[in-house]
Amino acid sequence: MPRIPIIMPQLGESIAEANIINFLVKPGDTVEADQDLIEVETNKASMTVTSPCRGRIEKFTAQLNESYAVGVVLGHIEATKEEASRLGLDVPAPAKTGDTDHISAPDANGGRNRVQPTVRGLPVPANAAGASYLSPRLKARMNELGLHAADLAGVAGSGAAGRVTVEDFERFIAHLEKQKITPASFMRVTVADAMRRSWTRPIAHVGLPVCLDPLFAYRKVTRPKPGPALCGLRALAVALAENSAPAGRLVGNKIVHPSSIDIAFAVEAEEGVLVPVIRHADKRSLKELIGPYNELVELARQCKLPPEVTGGSIATVTNFGTFGLTWATPIPLPEQSLVLGIGAARRTPSWDASKDRFVPVMEANLTLSFDHRVIDGGAAGRLLMRIADLITHPEQL
Amino acid sequence: MLQTVLDADPVGDATSFRDTHLTAYRFMLLARMLDDKCAGLYRAGKIHGGVFIGRGQEALSVSIGLSLKKGDVFAPLIRDTAGRLAFGEPVVDALRTYLGSVLGPMRGRDGNVHRGRPKEGYLPMVSHLGAMVSVVNGTLFARRMKGVTGMVGATCIGDGATSTGAVHEAINQAAVEKLPLVLIVADNQYAYSTPTSRQFACRDLADRAAGYGVESHSVDGTDLSACLKVVGDAVARARAGRGPQMVVATLLRLCGHGEHDDASYIDPKLKASPVGRDCLKVAEEHLLRQKWADATALAALRGEIVREIEEAVAQVQREPTPDPFTEDWRAISTGHLNEGQEK
Amino acid sequence: MSITYLEAIREAQAHALRDDPRVFIYGQDVGAFGGAFKATKNLAKEFPGRVIDAPISEDAMIGLAVGAAIEGMRPIIEMQFADFSTVGFNQIVNQAATLFWRTNVPCPITVRLPFGGTSGSGPFHSQSLETIYAHYPGLVVMTPATVEDAYSMLLEAVAIDDPVIFCEHKFLYYHLKAEKLPSEALPVGKARIAREGRDMTIVAYSAMVHEALEAAAELVPEGWEIEVVDLRSVKPLDTDTVMASVARTGRLLCVGEAWPWGGVTAEVIARVTSEGFGLLDVPPQRLNAKDTPVPYHPNLWTAHRPTARAVAAAARKLLRL
Repeated sequence: MPRIPIIMPQLGESIAEANIINFLVKPGDTVEADQDLIEVETNKASMTVTSPCRGRIEKFTAQLNESYAVGVVLGHIEATKEEASRLGLDVPAPAKTGDTDHISAPDANGGRNRVQPTVRGLPVPANAAGASYLSPRLKARMNELGLHAADLAGVAGSGAAGRVTVEDFERFIAHLEKQKITPASFMRVTVADAMRRSWTRPIAHVGLPVCLDPLFAYRKVTRPKPGPALCGLRALAVALAENSAPAGRLVGNKIVHPSSIDIAFAVEAEEGVLVPVIRHADKRSLKELIGPYNELVELARQCKLPPEVTGGSIATVTNFGTFGLTWATPIPLPEQSLVLGIGAARRTPSWDASKDRFVPVMEANLTLSFDHRVIDGGAAGRLLMRIADLITHPEQL
Repeated sequence: MLQTVLDADPVGDATSFRDTHLTAYRFMLLARMLDDKCAGLYRAGKIHGGVFIGRGQEALSVSIGLSLKKGDVFAPLIRDTAGRLAFGEPVVDALRTYLGSVLGPMRGRDGNVHRGRPKEGYLPMVSHLGAMVSVVNGTLFARRMKGVTGMVGATCIGDGATSTGAVHEAINQAAVEKLPLVLIVADNQYAYSTPTSRQFACRDLADRAAGYGVESHSVDGTDLSACLKVVGDAVARARAGRGPQMVVATLLRLCGHGEHDDASYIDPKLKASPVGRDCLKVAEEHLLRQKWADATALAALRGEIVREIEEAVAQVQREPTPDPFTEDWRAISTGHLNEGQEK
Repeated sequence: MSITYLEAIREAQAHALRDDPRVFIYGQDVGAFGGAFKATKNLAKEFPGRVIDAPISEDAMIGLAVGAAIEGMRPIIEMQFADFSTVGFNQIVNQAATLFWRTNVPCPITVRLPFGGTSGSGPFHSQSLETIYAHYPGLVVMTPATVEDAYSMLLEAVAIDDPVIFCEHKFLYYHLKAEKLPSEALPVGKARIAREGRDMTIVAYSAMVHEALEAAAELVPEGWEIEVVDLRSVKPLDTDTVMASVARTGRLLCVGEAWPWGGVTAEVIARVTSEGFGLLDVPPQRLNAKDTPVPYHPNLWTAHRPTARAVAAAARKLLRL
C-alpha cells in the first residue's frame, strides 16, 4: 500500500519554516483528501496543512511545538494504490536539478591545461600549445618592467593552452632575481630591439661557395686594395641595380621599391655592430668606393658616424669571415629585406675538369638572408649567383 | 482700483465682488498678453523647445489662483498662466523659465510650463499627465499630519488626463483620505488633436465624481463670474472639510496644443458655438456692462501691462543663461552619494 | 538572542519612527495587519496614525510620498513586491528622481522593494529591479546583503535627503540571522570585502553575496582563495573598492540575480575594463539569471538564478584560463 508523505507546504512568500501548534487528527484516523490535518503557525499567520489524499494516517513524524522547514515530511498517509494513482501521487520524486549541474562537474582529467573549449569568444586558443596570448595585466606588468614577449620565451605557462599567467610571470621574475643581473648597454638594447622587430618576419637563407682566386689576383694589381666585404657590397649593388625587386619591402599587400641603391655594411664596434651606408653604391666603381669605405670603417670604429651615413639603406653586407666563420645565417635589419654574408676564405680542393684532377682554390661561402614574404628561394638564388659571378670577375666591379 | 487683492473673498459683498472681477480681469489680460509675448519670442527664435499658452482658459484658471490663499498648494497645468499669476507667480518667473535665465526658479534645467517653487506650495508639473494629483495629495496629507488645518490643494488636468490611471488612483486616494483636494478638469474638447468623443464615453466627466465618493461641480468655463463662483465654492467646501472636490469646466482651447500646432483639426462649429466664446471678451463686456470699468480705464490697463511685460522681457533677456562648464552636474542632493562627477 | 534580516528592517523602521516625527510608513496592508511580510508588525499600534494602509495604487502611493517629502516629511513607502513598483515607476523616475535637479528641493523618500526570487514565487513576485532604478539619475539604490546592513542602511536611507530605492531580498528575510543589531556601520556608498582572497574577485550584492561566499568556501579545498566584494549599494557603486580588489587578484567575476542584459554586473565590468584594463589577467566574466521571466517551479527556478554551484563553476573556468 503506497505511503504518501505529508509535507510542510510553502505557506507564503519567503516563509522558510513553520511551527506545529496542533494535530487535528491522530494516527489510525481515516482522512479525506484536502482535510485539515495539522495546524501550523508562521511569522505571518496560522494555517493548516491538509491531506494530499484519502487514506489512513500512518504516523506523524513531526513533533508538537517544533518548527519544520518548508518541504519537510511531517508524517505519512497510507492510501490505496487506486487513490495514489488517481491523484498522480505514485510517481517517484524527480532528482533535484541543483545536484546535477553539468557545468560544475569537475574535469575528468582534472588537468588545468585541458580546458576545452575555453569560454566562448576569448582570444585563448583551446588546443594550441604555448599560446601567445598575453593578458592586459601581464602586458601592463611587462611594460612596467620594460619586458618584451620574447623575454617570456623561457617561461612555461600554466594557464589555458600554456599561456603565461601573471602568477607564472611573477615566479619567473622572482627566479631571475636570484641570479647575477647586470644592465645591458644602450647599444645592446638597441640591437636587441632591432633584431626582435626583424624576427617578426619569416627570414630564409640561401648560400653557395665562391672561388676567390680571381679576386685575390685582382687585389695584387690594385692600389689601394679592396677588401672582400667591399667587393661583396659592390657586387650586391651592381646586381640590385640590374633588378631591384628582391630589395623591396612588403607592407600590407603592397611592395615598396627601393628608390636608390644605398648599401650598408656591418662594422663591429665595442658592445655591438654599426652599419654605415654607402649611398648610390651602383653609381661608383669598386676603385672609387675604396676611399669612402675605409673612411666609414674608421669612423664606425670610433663610434663617430655622422647621421647622413646611417639609416635608409636597402640591404646590408656582413663579413662574418673576419671571425673565422665559414657559415652563418645573419638577420636583415628590420627595415630591410636582404643581408649578404661572406664567410672566411680557405683553401679547398676543387675538381679541375681540364686537368682531370683536384686543384687547390681559395673559396668562401656567400650567404643571402631574405624576407620570404618578398621573394622566394629561386629569386634569392639567382641574385646570389649573380653576385658570385661578379665576385669571380672583379674587373667588372 | 486694479491692484491685486489675493485675499479677497470671491463670494463676498458687492464691492469685493466688483473688485474681484477687476482683479481677475487684470490677471486674465496679463496672462493673455504674456502668453502672446512668449509666442512672439518663440517665433522670433528666442525660446527653445516650445510655448504652451492658455488662450480661452483664462477665466477658469484665474478663478483657481484667486480662490487659493497663501499657504495653499497649487499644481497648475500647461494652460494656467492666469492661475499662476493670480496665485502669486511674478511675471519674470515665467520669462526666466522660458528664456533659460539662471536666476529663474528652474535655472535652465527645466523650461516653459515646467516651473514652480515647491517650498512655497507652488508645484512644478512633470509632463506625465495626471501625475501631479497624488503629489498634491501628499502635501495635504503631510500638512494634516503636521496639524496644519484650513488649507486646500488645487490642481488642474484636462479632459485627456482623465483617461489616465494616475488620475483614477489619485482621486480615489484623496477620497479615501478625505483630503482637501480641488481637482479642476478643463474639458477643452481636445487632448492635443483627439476630440473628447475618442477620450471618454460617459455623458459628463462630472458624473465620475460620484463613483469616487467626491462632490462635483460643473461650470461654463467661458464665464468668469460663473467660474469665480463655482471654483470659489468648491475651494471653500474643501477648506471646510467636505473632502475632495471636482470641478468640470466646459470650454474650448482657442489655440493649438502648443505654438507649433495650428489647431486646424478644431471643429469650426465648436468655435462658433457658445463653448467657443473667448472668456476674456466675455469678461470685458461684463465689466463694461456693469460699468465697473470704462474703455479708457481698460486701454490704460492694457498700456500698463504692455510696459510691465516689455520691461520684464528686456530684463530677463540680459540675464545669464546656464554655463555647462560651471553647472553642478549632480542629481543627488547628498554630495558624496553622487558618482564620479566632481563639481 | 538572534535577529533576522526582516526583523532588522522592522526594527530600523521602528527606530526611525521613534527618532524622527517626520517619518511615516505608507503602503498596502502595512497598518494593523503589519505588512505582507510582517515588516511593519505592531508598528501601527506603537505609532498611531503614522503607519497607514494605502489603496492598491502604486502610482498614487509614490506621488503622495513626493508631495509629503516636499512638505518636509520622510515617508517610507512599502511596495508589497518589487515587481509592483513598475506600476509606480513613473512617479519614482520622473517625479521623485527629478525633483532635486529641477527645483533644488530634495526629495527624501524611501521606497522599500521586497525583491528577488524565492522558491515558487513565479514571474511576478520574484523580480530584481535594481538595474532599472540605478539607470535613472537622482536615485540612490541600496542592496543590503546582511542583517546589519539591512538595519543600518535603512536608517541611513530614511536619513538622507534623496529618494532611495531600498532593495530588500525576500529570500534573506527569514534565512539570514545575526546575533544583534549593529551600533555602527560602513557609510552607504562603500563596498565591503565580505571575504579576503588572492586568486579572484567575485563582485556580488544582496542574496548573491551569500551564493558567492558559499562558492568561495567550495573552492578552498581546490587551493583557491577567492575574494568576495559586497557592493552594498549599486548606486552609488564603489568602483574604487572593486578596482583595488581586482588589482590584488587579477580576475573578476560579477554575480547578479537580475537579468543579464545590461545591469549592475555589466556596469562593474565596463568600469573595470575601461579604468583598470591592465589589472585583468583574464577576461572578466559575469553571471546573471537567465534571460526569461522568473519561472515558478523550483526545478526551473534553481536553474534560472545563479546558485553557489553555478558561481563556483564559473569561477573554476576563470581560474583555469
